[in-house]
Amino acid sequence: MKSVCRFLLGCGALLLGLTVCAGQTFAKEKYIVASDCTWPPMEFLNDQKQVQGYSTDFIRAVAEAVGIEVEVRNIAWDGIFGGVATGQYDIVASSTTITEERKKQFDFTDPYFEVHQAVIVPAGKQVSTLADLKGKKVGGQIATTGIFVMRNAKVDCELKEYDDVGLAIQDLVGGRIDAVICDDPVAMYYVNMKKDYAGKLNLSFKTEDKELYGFTIKKGREDLLKKLNEGIAKVKAAGLDKEFAKKWMGQ
Amino acid sequence: MPEPDENHSKGNIVLVTDGASIPDPREWRLINAWSISLAGAICVLAGLFLFSPDPYERIVRYLPDGMLVTFKITIMSICFAVPLGLLTGLGRISRNRGINLIASTYVEIIRGIPLLVQLFYIYYALSRFVTVSGTTSAVIAISICYGAYMGEVFRAGISAIPKGQTEAARSLGFSRVQTMFLVVLPQAWRTILPPVGNECIAMLKDTALVSIMAVPDIMQRARSFVGTTYLYFETYTVVALVYLIITLLLSKAVSIMESRLNYYDGK
Repeated sequence: MKSVCRFLLGCGALLLGLTVCAGQTFAKEKYIVASDCTWPPMEFLNDQKQVQGYSTDFIRAVAEAVGIEVEVRNIAWDGIFGGVATGQYDIVASSTTITEERKKQFDFTDPYFEVHQAVIVPAGKQVSTLADLKGKKVGGQIATTGIFVMRNAKVDCELKEYDDVGLAIQDLVGGRIDAVICDDPVAMYYVNMKKDYAGKLNLSFKTEDKELYGFTIKKGREDLLKKLNEGIAKVKAAGLDKEFAKKWMGQ
Repeated sequence: MPEPDENHSKGNIVLVTDGASIPDPREWRLINAWSISLAGAICVLAGLFLFSPDPYERIVRYLPDGMLVTFKITIMSICFAVPLGLLTGLGRISRNRGINLIASTYVEIIRGIPLLVQLFYIYYALSRFVTVSGTTSAVIAISICYGAYMGEVFRAGISAIPKGQTEAARSLGFSRVQTMFLVVLPQAWRTILPPVGNECIAMLKDTALVSIMAVPDIMQRARSFVGTTYLYFETYTVVALVYLIITLLLSKAVSIMESRLNYYDGK
């Protein structure tokens, strides 16, 4: 019994020592970033299962600009806001559009990207307004602004809410649904850059209303918000945002 | 060494079910696990609804169409799974080697694959060959999955009937089919029904998985509601209570059925 106690004590001391050392070597503040990696080319996984994409590059550049450290983790979209509210991670960098409803619950940084909603239909088909989707089956990712836009447009269509947009696109190609609504960079990625779907899809139209992406944090973390806004301004001033856009979207 | 008597055979059935059923049909006291759970669930739900109507009323109003979908999928799956289970059970005790092998292989394969994977497989993987709607895939996947589970229940129930019954029927000139359907199955039904009822309740709970195929059941409605309001705690509390109340009521129904069937056992 005594030896066990001594062993535990030793372990504790060692752990304490390590923590102190770690604290000294990594003086930078470390924040955990959550991204739902089903949204190419904004944030998705590469072949080595590492998070990559526009938002990922952007938040890393921001972190570098203001001297903090970030660790990006892949978190499912459904519940990503719950995790930031309970403090499981500090920042959501997952192409979240700044909306009034979301602003009530969370704080957003200054915008870092601008998108529109895009409607994808099978190749050869064409729609030009949301009203044209009346009576059709329209898919999208659950709890994304695409779904909200369709719902607010009060078009009498059957809305199918998928766990991720890739599954919706798969069902569109398979013919189970008639259209998919999502952010335009994602739509362009699936229509133009994904080899499996080459020539099968048509990006039919984009909505007029623009949406702005912001990084999401828990309410009341003023210091973090200030730091991120400062970083975003620096990244934009350095022209890095255009570089990332060219890298991921070719524009 | 267990004796091969009736009681021991019945012990076999307990093994394939989830254990003793709650509520126990012989439990007639007013305060028991079942009544506490049900009263608690209803009180909490009603209390939330009365004292904090703002989010809770909206949540409760948002769910009913999802409930309809859940019930629809459950009932349709039961309609296919019970006959499939009966066929599988009969196949498993069949003396025809071919049929026996087919039924056993089916049970082995399906029991070894998680239901979630089966749902994905039928909906997304097989869409390369056939395209069926989300609800249809859900019913097919759940029926096939629970058909295998119920097959085992049917097999155990049928083998629990003492061999003497079959021998007597056969010696009185009944054919094999007549013996099975007129003598063995009516008796086996009594032991089979409660576990089959429990499987049906488990099935209702498992329909929560179909929300991954964009089927608007209770769970999907809840997730969609959370997606716009970010009220995780409130919404999932209501969903859990709704599922709990439904399954508690159904388990009481199974228990009443069980006690009626066991009326002549004099227990």
